[in-house]
Amino acid sequence: MKFRDMLRMSGSSLWKRKVRTILTVLGVVIGTASIVVMISLGLGLSRASLAEIEQYGGITTITVEDQGSGGYMEEESSDSQAEDKHLNDDVIEEIRNIPHVEDVYGVLETEALAMCGGFQTYVSVRGVEPEKMDKLGITLAQGSFPEPDAGYLQAVYGNMIIGDFYNEKTGEGYWYNGELPDIDLMNDSIIFVFDMDSYYNFIWGGGESEDGSAPVMPKKRIIEAAGIMEGTVEDYGSNSYYVYFDINELKKILKKEYKNKAIPGQPTTSSGKPFKEIYYSSIMVNVDDMDYVQEVQNQITQLGYHASSNAEWVQSMQGQYFYIELALGGIGAVSLIVAAIGIANTMMMSIYERTKEIGIMKVLGCDMRNIQGMFLMEAGYIGFIGGALGILLSYTISFTINTVIKNLDLGMEMNMAVGISYIPLWLAGLALVFAVFVGMAAGFFPSLRAMKLSPLAAIRNE
Amino acid sequence: MSEKKKTVIRVEDLYKIYRVGESKVRALNGVSFTIEKGEFCAIVGTSGSGKSTLLNMLAGLEKPTKGQIVIAGEHMERKNENQLVKFRREHIGFIFQSFNLLPTMNALENIAMPLTFQGMDKETRLKKAEEVLALVGLTKHKNHKPTQMSGGQQQRVGIARALVVQPEIIFADEPTGNLDSKTSAEVMNLMKKVIKEKNQTLVMVTHDDHLASFADRIFRISDGKIVSIEYGSESGVDHIDTK
Ligand SMILES: Nc1ncnc2c1ncn2[C@@H]1O[C@H](COP(=O)(O)OP(=O)(O)OP(=O)(O)O)[C@@H](O)[C@H]1O
Ligand SMILES: [Mg+2]
Repeated sequence: MKFRDMLRMSGSSLWKRKVRTILTVLGVVIGTASIVVMISLGLGLSRASLAEIEQYGGITTITVEDQGSGGYMEEESSDSQAEDKHLNDDVIEEIRNIPHVEDVYGVLETEALAMCGGFQTYVSVRGVEPEKMDKLGITLAQGSFPEPDAGYLQAVYGNMIIGDFYNEKTGEGYWYNGELPDIDLMNDSIIFVFDMDSYYNFIWGGGESEDGSAPVMPKKRIIEAAGIMEGTVEDYGSNSYYVYFDINELKKILKKEYKNKAIPGQPTTSSGKPFKEIYYSSIMVNVDDMDYVQEVQNQITQLGYHASSNAEWVQSMQGQYFYIELALGGIGAVSLIVAAIGIANTMMMSIYERTKEIGIMKVLGCDMRNIQGMFLMEAGYIGFIGGALGILLSYTISFTINTVIKNLDLGMEMNMAVGISYIPLWLAGLALVFAVFVGMAAGFFPSLRAMKLSPLAAIRNE
Repeated sequence: MSEKKKTVIRVEDLYKIYRVGESKVRALNGVSFTIEKGEFCAIVGTSGSGKSTLLNMLAGLEKPTKGQIVIAGEHMERKNENQLVKFRREHIGFIFQSFNLLPTMNALENIAMPLTFQGMDKETRLKKAEEVLALVGLTKHKNHKPTQMSGGQQQRVGIARALVVQPEIIFADEPTGNLDSKTSAEVMNLMKKVIKEKNQTLVMVTHDDHLASFADRIFRISDGKIVSIEYGSESGVDHIDTK
């Protein structure tokens, strides 16, 4: 018997008993929807906290830090290695060869003093290649990323920088009196001083610099803004406190500025002398998938570098949410089990009614497997239709929940902008497959019974 | 009748014993006979004599207690249910007393149903069904549901359904049992005409001697035993007594 004919015959016998079919399907609709909605809540929570982690430096990013620069490192053990384990392009190449590593790039970190119209602040300065900036998770509210090889410094300001400026005279700033300083980072001229030691020596000390020569006023540089990051002054993100520059331009300036002096944030030899080369303060490693982060991190550690990521955090969190999803799904599953019993009941009744029909088909030579198949298909149909409608219902419920919660504005600490209920495509697909499976499982014993019915029933009695 | 006759059904020493509580009912009590290809045989007897039991066993709907049934060279008693279904699908047509058409299908679909079980595609099987429907003279009623047809028309659809697979053997259990005598005669003539054209074998159960006389041979059965085999009045008057 052709598969299509079986589909048609079982479809039409469902159609024949419309009311009963609809009622049975309804059970499956409710069962599927309750599972899907329950799990979607777990997934929504999990997604919200992933989004939160994303703000704290990303899920698939590993940070490799210079051994020397972290003050907390045990000095003795690392000393011998520290000499040759500083981060440069060779290290980048080494890491690039690890499987699942998608991208590797260095970050140079130092500090500077920024000034503008009576306000000033210390800023942490970072240099990366402009095309890597969006990989760091930087999104701009205004302007653009610096052009590569511009020949001069162009700054990208973190969204919290503006709040750090304080009045030179009173020492008051945003965090003190809640007033944002009257600075337009995009258009005002911001002055940067990199060599702050010399600057303060010049201003206050008037004394001597280290080599005994008279203090010199370091260069004050007016720096053009390229862009400002998205977010208000209070929206924390892992980049919010930094000023970003093109790393190549930054290196050029630092070399000029510091000549033979140690650049803040750079490693030094055991005797405290600066190296010739400017090393990266850290190296960012992007892994192609969340699941491989721990693995790659371990390999980098084995190479002798200090690597850190959010992998453990993510893992323990996902573990927790997995159990939450399981529990919620289990609660939802109860109603699907009830629906499954409904399917089995409907199929049994249908077999009693159709004893004669089944008998006729057997007398006329319908294969037993085909008879079983048709009954399984009927049950599967119920599962399929119920599952599909259940998924539609789930999306509707999910949408309603999210809209209501958004409007309630519960002010939860978690990021609810994405919604508390989240139905990814795989969940919808899985639910459909599961509904069909449950339908067929419920129909299995009835179908076996149909298959074994004696054909004599068709001939005997009326 | 030609010399070269081929045996299509051979029954040897067939018993069917039902246990009802403590007692045994010998529905068939040692039956042996052979039927040749192209023959039209009638099985007659009083109610409860074991006619239906015999026919059902020939069609593989019931297992014999003892004995052999060889149809088209194959031992029916050795087949399992799956094999029996397959055998029926390929070799046997069945006509029911109560027509047994599926009420949700129209005449054409009912006739095409056995072809569906053979895995034939829709176009071919509907074409074949239409041919057979023309043969039983119901082309006008092809879209009628069973409830929209008279008993005689329904049984003609039932006959068409048995014929459509072009079986070697057709079994019919009181095919005219639910029809009046005039319609019965029409149906009988139709069946006879069709199977003679195609040289098919027909085994029919009836308790009506008149209808039995349409047959080439008549097996008279009583208390589970064949008591006589006669030649039908239309083909001869020979009368042969068995032991
Ligand atoms: N399933 C069964 N269990 C017990 N006894 C049975 C069963 N089927 C048939 N019998 C008995 O076997 C005998 C033969 O029955 P069968 O149905 O073959 O009769 P029949 O000749 O077809 O009668 P009718 O003309 O009334 O249809 C009867 O005595 C009947 O009671
Ligand atoms: Mg009978």
